[in-house]
Formats: sequence, C-alpha cells, structure tokens
Amino acid sequence: MDTFVIHVFNALLYASVLFLIAGGLSLIYGVMRIVNLAHGNLYAFGAYVTAWAVGQWLAGAPTVVLYLLLPIGAVAAAILGAVLEPTLLRPFYRRAEEYQLLVTFGLLMILEDLMRFFWGPYPLTATTLFEKMGSVKIGDSIYPRYNLLVVLVGGLAAAALWGFIYRTRFGVVLRATSQDMRRAAAMGVNVNRVYIEAFTIGCFMAGLGGAIVVPGQSAVLGMGVDALVLAFVVVVIGGLGSLQGALVGALIVGIVREIGVSTFPEVELAVLYLIAVIVLLVRPAGLFGRAA
Amino acid sequence: MPGPVTRRDLLAKLGVTAAATFGASAAGFGVAGIAHAQDKAKGNIPDKPFRIGHMTFFTGPGAVLGEPMYKGNLLAADEINSHGGLLGKRKIEVLKADEAAGTDANVKEMRRLKLSEKIDMFMGITSSGNTPALGPAAEELKLLTIFIDGCTDFLFDKAVPNPRYVFRVTNIQSADGSTCAVAVAQTWPDVKKVAHIHPDYAYGRNCYDHFSIVTKKLIPGAQNVSEAWPKLFSTDFTPHITKTLAAKPDLLVTSVWGGDYVAFYKQALQHGLFDKMKVATTLALGVAPHAIGKDHPENVLAGVHANYHFSYPPGNRWPLNKSFVEKYKAKFNEYPNFQAEGAYTATYILKTAVEKANKLSGGWPDDDAIISQIEGMMFAGPGGYVYIRPDNHQGYKDAITGFSKNTPEYPFPILDPARIITIPIRNITAPPGWPKGEPTSTYTWIDQTWPTVKHA
Amino acid sequence: MSTVPLVLHARSPARVLPWVVPLVVVLFLLPHAIDPYQTILLAYGLLMGIGALGFNLLLGYTGLLSFGHSAYFGVGAYAVALMFKYLHVQSMELYLAGAILASVVVSAIFGFVCVRYTRIFFGILTLALSQVLWSLAFKFYPITGGTDGLRVPTPTLLGLARDNKGDKILFLASNYYYYVLGFFLACVVIMWIVVNSPFGKALQAIRDNETRAEFIGIHIRRYRFVAFLVSGVFTGIAGALWVPLNGLTTPDILYWPFSGEIVFMTVLGGFRTFTGPIVGAVVFNYLKTSAVGFTVYWQALLGSILVFLVLVLPTGIVGAITQLLPAVRKRFSR
Repeated sequence: MDTFVIHVFNALLYASVLFLIAGGLSLIYGVMRIVNLAHGNLYAFGAYVTAWAVGQWLAGAPTVVLYLLLPIGAVAAAILGAVLEPTLLRPFYRRAEEYQLLVTFGLLMILEDLMRFFWGPYPLTATTLFEKMGSVKIGDSIYPRYNLLVVLVGGLAAAALWGFIYRTRFGVVLRATSQDMRRAAAMGVNVNRVYIEAFTIGCFMAGLGGAIVVPGQSAVLGMGVDALVLAFVVVVIGGLGSLQGALVGALIVGIVREIGVSTFPEVELAVLYLIAVIVLLVRPAGLFGRAA
Repeated sequence: MPGPVTRRDLLAKLGVTAAATFGASAAGFGVAGIAHAQDKAKGNIPDKPFRIGHMTFFTGPGAVLGEPMYKGNLLAADEINSHGGLLGKRKIEVLKADEAAGTDANVKEMRRLKLSEKIDMFMGITSSGNTPALGPAAEELKLLTIFIDGCTDFLFDKAVPNPRYVFRVTNIQSADGSTCAVAVAQTWPDVKKVAHIHPDYAYGRNCYDHFSIVTKKLIPGAQNVSEAWPKLFSTDFTPHITKTLAAKPDLLVTSVWGGDYVAFYKQALQHGLFDKMKVATTLALGVAPHAIGKDHPENVLAGVHANYHFSYPPGNRWPLNKSFVEKYKAKFNEYPNFQAEGAYTATYILKTAVEKANKLSGGWPDDDAIISQIEGMMFAGPGGYVYIRPDNHQGYKDAITGFSKNTPEYPFPILDPARIITIPIRNITAPPGWPKGEPTSTYTWIDQTWPTVKHA
Repeated sequence: MSTVPLVLHARSPARVLPWVVPLVVVLFLLPHAIDPYQTILLAYGLLMGIGALGFNLLLGYTGLLSFGHSAYFGVGAYAVALMFKYLHVQSMELYLAGAILASVVVSAIFGFVCVRYTRIFFGILTLALSQVLWSLAFKFYPITGGTDGLRVPTPTLLGLARDNKGDKILFLASNYYYYVLGFFLACVVIMWIVVNSPFGKALQAIRDNETRAEFIGIHIRRYRFVAFLVSGVFTGIAGALWVPLNGLTTPDILYWPFSGEIVFMTVLGGFRTFTGPIVGAVVFNYLKTSAVGFTVYWQALLGSILVFLVLVLPTGIVGAITQLLPAVRKRFSR
C-alpha cells in the first residue's frame, strides 16, 4: 500500500514540474500565439540560477535563507523573458508565424551556450535543501520530504495561476487579448504591455519549475532541450493554449511515466510518446484545446 | 570440470584475494616502465610536434568521469615535453574534442582531426557508445589510436575484430560486471533477491549480462526481482528507486556512473534505500574522487571500473602510484581517477613504443613499427602491470574493487584499505583463441567453462 | 508565409542551362582539385541538399513548415541499417529502394495526420511525431541498438564491391562521391519537374491563397498530402545516402534539434527559391563543421547566425543575391 502511495507522489512530482513548464508554454501561446522553442532553456536557466545561488553563492547560509533563495531561478527567468520579448520576439509579430519557430530555435542554441559560458560544463548541484528536509515515513518506507514540497509548489502554482487568470482584472485583460487581440486593442488595452507581462509570467513558471527541481537533481546542459519535448507531449495531449490542458496533460504524463518505469522498464520513454500519438489521432487539438 | 565445486573452491581457483594485498604478480618479462632518464635517440628525428587528438567528455554529467582523462594525458605530455618531447625532439601537442557532441558528430570530428588537423594519434573516449563507432572509423583513417575507456567488449568482439591501428588501455568492460559479481559472491554469498538499475546503453547492458552469468555460476540461488533502465545522463531516479524498493531485494546492482550516480545516491539516501539492501556498483568511485561526498554510505561495493583507485597500491608499496598521485594532485589540485591513470599510462606506452622502435631501426618510427612495439608490451604503470594482448590489442590489468569508507585523511570516501579485492584479470576474461561469442566472448567463455557452485 | 508576395519566375530550361552546366562540370571535377576530406564534406552537403530540397517542397512551395523532418531522414537511415542487420543486404541500390519504401509508408501515415492542420499546429504535430520515432529507436535496444546504434559496412555500388585497395576514405572521396552526385543531380531534376508542373503550380496557389485555390477546384488536403509524401521520400533518400558516409545509424538523427537544422539550412539558403535549400545545405555543412572546430560555443554562434538571418536576411543567401543582382546589373549598365 505504501508503495502505491509513493508511486502516486512520484507521478505528482513529475507532473508538478511538467505543469510549470508546459503551463508556461501554453499560457504564452494562448495569449500571444507564439510557440517558444527556447522555453525549455528558460526552465534550465531557472535551474542553473537557483543551483548557483543555493549551491555556490550563498552555500553556507542558514537554511531559512536558502529556502527564501529557491525562487530566485524563477525571478531570473522572468527577467530574462522580459528582456527577450521586446527585443527578439516583438519584431516578428507582424511576420509569418513560422519565423517565430525559427528565431526561438536560434534563441535555444544561444541560451544553451550562455548557460555553459556562465556556469561551466559540469552539472551544478544544490542538494543542501533536499538533504536538510530529510524524509518522512509512509508506512514501512521513507520518502524525501522535499519531493512533497515540489508537489505542493506545483499545486499552489496551479491554483495561483487559475486565480490570477479567472479572478483578477489583469486576468480578464489577458483572456480578452488571447481571445481577440484586435478587439482588445480597440477597447484600449495596451497589447504590448499585456504581451510582455504574459511572456514574463510564462518564463517565471518555467524558471520556477527548474528552480524547485534542482535541489533533488542537478542542473545539467541539455536539460532544456529534453524538457521541451516533454512539455510538447503535455500540450499535445492537453491542448495548446489551455491551462487545464497543461494540468491534465502533465498528470497523465506523470502517471504514465511512473507506470512505464515500474511495469515496462524496457520501453518507459516510448509509452509517453505513444500516448501522444493516440491523442493526436483521436483528437488532434488535444483534450482541451481548440485547433488554430 | 569434474565433481561439484564449492564456492570457496571456485573463488580460490579464480585467485580472488581480499584484504590488503601485496600487489599482483606479473609474468615479468621485459617489463617497461616509466623511466625518465632517456638514452639519446638514434638517427635523424624531425622536430615537428607530435599531435594527439584527445576526445572525452568535457561537458555534461559525463565530464566528472571523462575530463580527468584529458588531465592524465596532459600530465604525461608535460613530463615528456620537459625532457624535449618524444625521442627528445618531438614535443607533444594535445588537441581537445568534446565527446558530448554525440556519436555521429564524434565520427566526423575524428575524421576532421586526422584529415584536416593532421593529428598523429588519437586518444580518449569514455563512453562505450562511442568506441564501436570510432574504432572502425580509426581503422579506415589508418589513425593510430589508443582508447582509454569506452571499454565495451563489442569493440574487439565485433566492431573491429582484427584491429591494426586501434588499441585500448583500460580493462575490458566484461571485467566490471564479473568483478562485481565475484566480489558479491565473496562478501554476501547469501543474497537471494537481486535488483538491477543500469543505464540503457552498451555499458549498462554489458554489466547486467556479466553480473548475471557470473552470479549464475557462483550464487546459483540468486534471482532477479526487478530491473530498471534509466536513460544515460538522467538526473531523476525517483521512479526507478521506488520500483526497486517495492521489490524488496537483498541486493541492488547498479552500473550508473558519473553525475548520474551522484544524483542517484543522494536521492536513494532520502528513500532509505541503502538501509534496506546491500548495494553493489561497478563504477561508483570511478569518478574524480571529490565528486562523491562523505554523505555517501559506507560498505557499498564501490566499483572503480575494475581498474584503479588512487589509494591502491598504497603508500610506498608501488612507488609509481605514489609519485603519480602526488604529481597529479600538485598540478590539478585533485586526486586522479582511473581515466587519468589510464591516459597517463597510455601516453607512456606510446613513448616507450616509440623509443624501442627507434632503438631497433633509427629515425622516427612509422606507425607499423610503433604498433608492433605496443603489441605484447607489458607495462608498469601507476595502477599496476598492464599487458597489451597482441591478438586483440586490448590492455589487461588485474581487476580491483572495494568497499566505500570514510576516513579522516580525505574529504571524500575511498576504498576501505583493509578490504580491497583483487582478481587476476586472466581468470575472468576470455583467453586468446576463444571464439568470438554473443553477447560477448567472455560471456560464452564463462558460461561454457566455469563450473556452477553447488553450495557454500 | 503568405504576407509577402513571392515572385518565382517560371524558368525554362534554356534560360537556366548557361550557369547550371558549368556548375555541374565543376562538381564533377572537384575531387581532383580538393583533398579527400573536403570532398567528403561536400558529399555530406550534397545529400543534405537533397533532403533540404524535399523539405522545401513543403515550406517554400506549399507554405507548410515541418519541424519533424528528421523523422524521414531517420527512417531512410534506419531502413538501411535494419536491412543490413536482418536481411544482410549490402547493395546500395537495394538500400535506397528500401529507404524509399519505408519513407513512403511513414510519410503517408504522418502526412495523413498532419495535413489537416496548418501553421503552428502543423509544425508541432510534425515535431511530436518525429519524437515518437526517436523514442522507439532509442528504447528498442534489441532491434535498433538504442544509443549505440547500428553499424553498416561499406555497401556495393551498382553491384561492384569497392576496390580502392581497401581504403575507405579514398572510396568515400571518389566512388561514393560520384554516386551521391549522380543521385543529387537526378533528384534536382525530378524536383525541378515537380515544382514546375501543374501540380507544383497548384501547391503555390494553395500557399498563396487557400480559399481562392479551393474555389478554382483544387482539393487542398489531397495536394498537401502528396507534397508531404514527395517531401518525405526525398528526405528519406538523403538519410539512406548518409549512412555509408557515417558508417553508423544512431537515434541522434531522429532527435528534434536535427529537424531544426534542416529548417536552418533551408532558411539559410533561402526558402523562396529553388536553389536556396541546396546552397543552404552545403553552406550549413561547412559552417557547422568549421564552427565546431573553431569554438566550444559553436551553438551560440550558429544560433546567432540564425537569428540574424531571420531578422535581417529572411530571403536567405540565394534570395539576397537574386535581389541584389538586378540592382547590380542596373548599376553597371548606365
């Protein structure tokens, strides 16, 4: 029984991180109709910044400080996003959609080497918090408490995002812009500002995903590229542009992966993509999405 | 073999020695060593630099294992150059290439290094995924090559069965799984349920196969209860750890290495894995020693790729190791791993071969002459005697493994000096003349020629 | 891609011959002038040119950006590797036949799913589907060798085993180069015929204005599907030709950044012209190889070039030259 509970937590852990990444991707697309291929590298950037801050810069600081320092990766990713949007992405809104894919692909390559330049070629770890939190007993087994924190953060983020989008004025403006940009502009919405804010939030989410995952794992080069594919699987399943879709998709991917590793160790990865294919064949726009 | 054999008998026959041993025996003829006083070279030697292309992991999780290889090469090259270079005239220049680029890119890069940069020799490679691709490419390019690792049996079993230009210095991969299994049989012979976690590529599969076949012979009552195959260079092992714990094994065998292993053991600690089962690894302490923290549990069978740990041979018992470790530490401010020792030894093997060839025929020896001198060379390196078997160009050195222990002298765990296990390599690898087999020659050799133990 | 009007002159063969023929002659004579390494590089470039040409049928002529073309390249390459592994085939011609067959099947399946959509969705779907193949190649170790890949020894060309005294480099730089060159020229001619045919014109009509095309009776999805098929087959051929050069087939060529490279090289050369993708493929090949040898930050270098291209030079190298030419001509003909 306790194994089952642990499996559930593992799936939720994976889903939390994926939701943060995919949710950011979906949000950006929903509002701006941009698919940011470099989005995975914002997740990686968040991971690196947090790893550096917690593992190197203020490594000896008291634990409380380290906890407060965790989200620094998210903040850094948000700032990076706020810088990138007006400079690299805005020139392309008037151009054909496909150019965005190209420019964000170039951005992906640049960011990858940027991280290598700043933090070197080796993996960066920040395991202090992971270890400090210790483990909690679940039946006969023990489970890292930190993983539960990640699940909590994921859940809180989902709730906060939902509240933000559906319960605040800014959320209304965001939704209006995403539904019909021209009409929103005609009604006085400053679309440029909305875009930059949406992009920043999306990057914040991705960065947060990286920041909270890093103490348990490590920041390595290439993690962004791998993450992006998984995020894509999530949005394919859930539907691009839909936050519920990102949540449901992330949960599905998390569960499938957990089952895959336990029961079909030989094919764990492939099962995920197979699910994506099935969804593609049956409902190509995704479970909650609407076709472009 | 006649009659039922007990485990103790078989282990004795295999020559397994545990506890602090006194160095392996060598056949001892014509042993070459790291001599520094050089005779004057014969004949006319050009002073063109000797260019070595060195490819290993410089980025990513593999770098913790691979980068010291380059450092070992550099240390040797610097020492040789301080005496004027090879044969006192040709200084060694080392060009770097990053193995993390991917197998296809690595093949292209090797070609570029040879055809465009005109390297004289190729050295390096950590991953077993790369040597089967680069070996044939090196033969095609007629490029003198010493692979330091990438130790898969597949290289000389299938990919390059009759090597001419390609050599490999560290122990063949099957030794890892076999050594680990022999050590387990020696130390924990009562295990019944075994779980496996291996990275999903050549090395992982090889370790699994050889651990399994040796265990079949030495601990016939043991059974596999769980398997997991994470992708190489994963950082998240949570589901694999959970799966393993759920199967309630007595023993976990894992060949996860480098940055992956660091992530793995830290996560496993928080799951209490090390308290619930014995753990045997093939490569846990093979990384740069400082990469593993003192939070790593003790009494884990901490493999070193069956090759070398800087703490053995200890002290003054084998001066070559003592001076190597001191020089390496002085230059790089860290302790060497088996990759560093391998590269260092390989560079000196090259030097020795060149000198011997020069003595025979004068002038700068061509590749064929160098090759003929490397074949059959018995070389004394920091880690012990290495024998380069002429038929398959593979280096053989006595296998070693041990148990992790924290000591006050070092800020990281080392192999417990009181419990080092060594095995003469000729007893656990397929001998010359044994036909190539599937999945490896060593596997079929063990399967067909070893007896199965009846009971302890 | 429909915001900027595209001018693509119908070129009669006669107009093109004056500069095509010398170029072809040069390509034939090149191995005698440059060293084997450069020839091998060029061979890589030419076969990627075939792939890019195929890719551009979808992008430049039909207006669909596929971000998953690594799938067909990989299918072609794995078809070769698996034919060697299980059927012990060694003939290059059989390899190509197998690769074409395999890529037809896969493009048909993938095309059927993808052509229902356009623009971003199309791109995402193609990416996701290519990743499916990647994960299969990656995980099915007993069949595909996983990350270790499958080795393929030198094939026989036109039934003749190589005889360059066992020197594979020489073989690659001479016999194999001409083989690739032959296929390259054949594919160029075929593609030329395709894009200049009524079918090709219909594709461009669909690209420029879907609604209007439908009104004049063009069955959009069917045309797109056929374009997808042809495109996939060309890229599959490129994949098959690539295998002997590399000697090894690994899942890397199915991984999505490789699709990105295919897009990159096409845009680099100019996707609005016929020759752009070819020029782009050859140039990209040299660019990447020299960047990798030049700096450890080669990804940033290539990425910056891509961003620069898209920002400043969206018509690519060939496009820029074509635009410059009239200006230059005017300049010099006062």
